[in-house]
Amino acid sequence: MKNALALILIAAASVSCNREAPADTRNSKPTVALVLKTLNHPFFVDMRRGAQEAADRLGVNLQVQAAEREIDVEKQMQIVENLIQTGIQALAITPSGSREIVSALVKARDAKVPIIVVDTRVDEKAAADAGVHTETFVGSDNYEGGKLAGDYLLKVSGGKARVGILEGIPGHETGDSRLRGFRDAVKATPGVSIVASQPANWERDQGFNVFQNMLQAHPDIDSVFACSDLMALGAIEAIAAAGRTGKIRVIGFDALDDAKKAIGEGSMAASVAQFPSEMGRVAVESAVKVIRGETVPAQIKVRLELVTKENLQ
Amino acid sequence: MKNARQFGTLIGLAVLCAILWILTPYFLTVSNLLNVAEQTSINAIVAVGMTFVILSGGIDLSVGSIVALSGVVLGASLKSDQPMLVGVIVASLVGLACGLGNGALVSWGGLPPFIVTLGTMSIARGAALLFTEGRPVSGFDAGFRALATGRAGFIPAPVIVMLLVYLAAHFVLSRTTFGRYVYAIGGNEEATRLSGVAIRFHKTMIYGVSGLMSAVAAIILTARLNSAQPIAGMMYELDAIAATVIGGTSLMGGEGSLGGTLVGALIMGVLRNGLNLLGVSSFLQQIVIGGVIVVAVLLDTILKRRNRSI
Repeated sequence: MKNALALILIAAASVSCNREAPADTRNSKPTVALVLKTLNHPFFVDMRRGAQEAADRLGVNLQVQAAEREIDVEKQMQIVENLIQTGIQALAITPSGSREIVSALVKARDAKVPIIVVDTRVDEKAAADAGVHTETFVGSDNYEGGKLAGDYLLKVSGGKARVGILEGIPGHETGDSRLRGFRDAVKATPGVSIVASQPANWERDQGFNVFQNMLQAHPDIDSVFACSDLMALGAIEAIAAAGRTGKIRVIGFDALDDAKKAIGEGSMAASVAQFPSEMGRVAVESAVKVIRGETVPAQIKVRLELVTKENLQ
Repeated sequence: MKNARQFGTLIGLAVLCAILWILTPYFLTVSNLLNVAEQTSINAIVAVGMTFVILSGGIDLSVGSIVALSGVVLGASLKSDQPMLVGVIVASLVGLACGLGNGALVSWGGLPPFIVTLGTMSIARGAALLFTEGRPVSGFDAGFRALATGRAGFIPAPVIVMLLVYLAAHFVLSRTTFGRYVYAIGGNEEATRLSGVAIRFHKTMIYGVSGLMSAVAAIILTARLNSAQPIAGMMYELDAIAATVIGGTSLMGGEGSLGGTLVGALIMGVLRNGLNLLGVSSFLQQIVIGGVIVVAVLLDTILKRRNRSI
């Protein structure tokens, strides 16, 4: 056990060096917590970067924490509970579950910590039932993004396509909205049929496996819409494994660096770009405004853009 | 020797708390300590079942999935306007049935526990997803949520449930013949069988206890999140195994105690809480927690080896 404690001591000491003493800074420097779904996704890493830049500029002490896995609501709740203990003055959070997160937000409300919701919306009814008030929602309109992807498919396919869809985790507001947007965009066109739609849970390896299975069942698939680029990149690998690179249109979401590279190489057709670092920046700026007692709009939309080979920088 | 090991774990917890007390002003406050106890309760309850199984020389990888399956059954029952008690009983029966199924396959089927519970892990998870079509069941009435949000005096309800579970399980393990057989089977199964103990029956019951404990944890988790998720409880098996082995229970079976497991679960809870309070990156947190698990077991092994050579 001694060794265990030595290890903890080393780890703790190494972080305590760059940790601000709370007593000195509590009054001068506002503390804002940013709780992310995870940090093993470039989207959230970008968001943290944007938030950190804004925090440095505005003189905010930013505490970033994330669960290990994107879907771990209970862990996120623990993080929120723990951060409340440290006397944070505002909480910016990307909810792991639209409804489930409400229980954690109740704890923030009880501690009188204002809440800024980022990227994924909180279920309005669940929040209202629990009496939780959120200051603002900072994020892109995922429904519009899905529509953007659907409209693009109609344009490039000339209204004739057999589509396979890779969904996110079922029940996730983000993925569901993208999916709805895409389906709404293509549903009026009889030439476009969605032949398969399966969840690949946001993950690259699952995107590979699920799409490989889809191709087995429906060899005539000529287009893929993936609700996130990681899944799209997985699908691209599966297409390569089947020796059909470039023959199947892949449309993704998030415009990750790897996806832009794939678009440049022609293995991917397009990706809907979100601007997570902008979300992080706006979240911190809004938090500071709320702490100062200024009002913020109930919703702050962050722009969306379709990245294709034509407009790729 | 057994007491010394348990005492060592307790000292470990105390020193860990002392370090955190020095490093952060937020750790040693009543509200934070209650917070840690509440956060620990779910893992601690699952770890009770895991301790029974590991003491008997087995392993149960299916606990996290059973948490999810019992949880969604509970959620569906509450949503269909059944009285709360019905939901709680049905969820407990589902957990118990999964556990008994594991036990029957291990004892009568003669399969290794690792394989059986690996299979159940996948089956119960799939069943939970199928049952809910992958979607969480949310929004229960305040009466049910009080199981997580309620307080007796100033102690959160999950902590009370945890303590009651430990008291009951401790009684079973230390004062009943069933409890003695758990140790005996783990110590030397063949000798226990030759002395006329119904090994198969008792082993089945041991896995049943584990399933039931998963269901109890599911009830608390569902109330806490106000939602039952089919993807809940992932990796709970590893947290429960970690709490058990940090608490000094031998993976070989036959040695260990519930008190140790509770302290083990608290060490994990305090570590996670403290690392959050200190603002340690979530990546470093995983390294530290992993390190503690390995070092605790390493220490256990070294102590035992020394003990044997004396």
